[in-house]
Amino acid sequence: MPDAALEGISVVELGQGVSAPYCARLFADYGADVVKVEAPESGDVTRCWGPFPGDVPHLEKSGLFHFLNTNKRGVTLDVAAAAGREILFRLLERADVLIENNLPMQMRDLGLDYAALEGVNRNLVVVSITPFGQTGPYSEWKGYDLNAFHLSGASHRYCGLPGQAPLEHGTFSADFYGAAAAATWGLAATMGRERVGGGQHVDVSCAEAIATTFVGAHNIGAYAQDGVYERRTGVGMRLSAPATILPCKDGHVWMLAIEPGQWKGLVEVIGNPEWARVEMFEDMFVRGQNADIIYPLLEEWTLQHDKLEIMERCQAAGCPATAVTTVEEAAEHPHLRERGYVLEVEHPELGRTLSLAPPFKLTGSPTAPPAPAPLLGQHNDDVYGDRLGMRDDALARLRADGIL
Amino acid sequence: MENARPLEGIRVANFGWVWAGPVLGQTLAFLGAEVYKIESRARIDMMRTLPPFDGGVRDPNRSLSNHACWASNGSVSLDLKKPEAVELALELVATCDVVAENFVPGVMEGFGLGYAKLCEVKPDIVMFSMPTAGLTGPLRDIRSYGLSLTGTTGLDSFVGYVDGPPIPMEQAFADPFNGLLGGFAVLAALRHRDRTGRGQHVDYSQQEAVMQLVGPAFMDYAMNGRSATPMGNRHPLAAAAPHGVFPCAGDDRWISIAVAEEGEWQGLVRAMDDPEWARAAEFVGLEQRVRNIGSLHERLAAWTLGFDDRALAERLQGEGVAAAPVMNVADLLEDPHYRARGTFIEVRHPLGFKETIYGAYVKTSRFEADVRPGPAIGQDNEHVFKELLGVSDARYRRLVDEKVIY
Repeated sequence: MPDAALEGISVVELGQGVSAPYCARLFADYGADVVKVEAPESGDVTRCWGPFPGDVPHLEKSGLFHFLNTNKRGVTLDVAAAAGREILFRLLERADVLIENNLPMQMRDLGLDYAALEGVNRNLVVVSITPFGQTGPYSEWKGYDLNAFHLSGASHRYCGLPGQAPLEHGTFSADFYGAAAAATWGLAATMGRERVGGGQHVDVSCAEAIATTFVGAHNIGAYAQDGVYERRTGVGMRLSAPATILPCKDGHVWMLAIEPGQWKGLVEVIGNPEWARVEMFEDMFVRGQNADIIYPLLEEWTLQHDKLEIMERCQAAGCPATAVTTVEEAAEHPHLRERGYVLEVEHPELGRTLSLAPPFKLTGSPTAPPAPAPLLGQHNDDVYGDRLGMRDDALARLRADGIL
Repeated sequence: MENARPLEGIRVANFGWVWAGPVLGQTLAFLGAEVYKIESRARIDMMRTLPPFDGGVRDPNRSLSNHACWASNGSVSLDLKKPEAVELALELVATCDVVAENFVPGVMEGFGLGYAKLCEVKPDIVMFSMPTAGLTGPLRDIRSYGLSLTGTTGLDSFVGYVDGPPIPMEQAFADPFNGLLGGFAVLAALRHRDRTGRGQHVDYSQQEAVMQLVGPAFMDYAMNGRSATPMGNRHPLAAAAPHGVFPCAGDDRWISIAVAEEGEWQGLVRAMDDPEWARAAEFVGLEQRVRNIGSLHERLAAWTLGFDDRALAERLQGEGVAAAPVMNVADLLEDPHYRARGTFIEVRHPLGFKETIYGAYVKTSRFEADVRPGPAIGQDNEHVFKELLGVSDARYRRLVDEKVIY
């Protein structure tokens, strides 16, 4: 789309897994030209992760790969070989942004550390997304999403039962979080190149992004001042109540009423029981201190009602409670269909498959319907031939040598 | 580093409140934008009431949480229930590039600050709206905090222990995530404005943005009709085993270990001194390890139990295994890695006390983020109203007396 917001920004992605691909997808979703570089033969590791239709593994049928790589062009290249690196440099000479998530030592071994990349293109913004970052003692460590998330303090502080293992979200939350931070800072660095005097290295540690903006936000000032810290309780936010997930007749609900009007609304919805009319419970903090008393009483009520009914009645009364929806319920919700968020994408190997639209709507610069993720090496001829002007015989030789 | 920052020259009026709005403003401010929170003593932002307080003194200008979350935002105070306050807000908007807000749809219109009105005073304004479920659709009027928001995305339905009920994330992960990603939306709209001369109204549904994290599970539903259930710390797509958190010596100490590749498994086996159980057929090859992950995790937990978490992480890393300590809040401040990166910093608040907040949560090589302490209510009133908007001393005093500026 000629009017897309990021039209004209040229991005090269050299990453696999979730963080760098998702960050690059954000650029692609809003109009940037993204070339994804994958290893020949095997490609991005998420091609092997699935989920696959019928659980039958197939390099071109991974749902996660499909989700993370829409709107990109894909090429194969062995960047560990000198000839491959040379071609990568040619791509980077005319690119605005490189998004990568290799470990710092891997990039050094490949001859792709920031000093080398800056030498290729001084205006290049290099966005590196790693579990631990480019500096500090753990920068040489190996890590995955799991390790980054648990290094952030998020799980120990906020998720799990006391005495039992702290929990991740059941998704790649550190990778997604780091990708979001990287997209914002990377785009700012790109837009501000004239002002700051060129490209630069943007160093995102997924663990650090969560340790600061999520965990540190509400805990670090208190610990620095008072020397005490809190940990997960398994029963929701302690500061006030209700602020937890409770079972109901057909599943679970998020019971949440913090501000005075919200609590008042909830009390009405549950029929003004005597216990809830106790005056001291009007104070959100007092309710928090008495959560152990309040939750069983509330649960007696929630167990008699369905989650959607609870959500509707609470919302109507100004109380921000919600149903804990399953993936299916979220996927089938009319709201998300009507907004075009849950949509179908046509893929050459998968056929028509449900997917999720980009995360936000730029109403003044709409984007085209998502193009499917690239097949392995699908755009080699486009990118190497048309963009770099490489001749057919040169391409054939590189193919024979296993470089492409 | 004395370099200019990338967003210098961009001015933002931030009507956002509680948490997602602040992190958005903070992000743009770290990057060099001039950001003013529009708030009022007439309705104190809940974040300012959260304990603990500096020195234990309960005061809306002393909430430590607020100062971290709002750091680098400025503050002007206007009671928007008063017409003259709305006029002043519009005068400020006329000098701005961006207006951000995270109310329920319709609240800004109710103030007389809807998108159409903003365009009258600043035709190319970028208005960034971040309600729970977007500006359109049947759920548009839904209210949530970040805590209950995730319930509507499917995400909460698979957080918990295997075969157990959903376990709540006890703080709103959605809020700062949306603050960070919202920054990307604002910048994209600004780039579009720079190239076309046209502003726009960004429709940012917090629900949809957070539901991106459900993507992996969503695709399994799309392809196989399955809805994920609580999976503990297992790999979301069962592509690694072991993949979990295991107990270590000490009070509530744990280590995370993730093994995806065969070489990593061999490294783990070496680190364990090649125990016989690890050679059993049920643990040979990733497929078998994934199938028997329950018993694999039990055996591994029995081994990790006696070790110091950090020492064990070092040892496993030495064998090429992805392992790291599970940190508690105290560790964040004291850990050598975060110290080396300057992750948390001490600043002096405008009211005189020292406090610890987080610094630039992304490191950049060509500029230094503009990290300033959280604002006192109305700390930028004189600068904004007198210098930017040219309000006379006499009128300013009257506006303060009449609690328009309040």
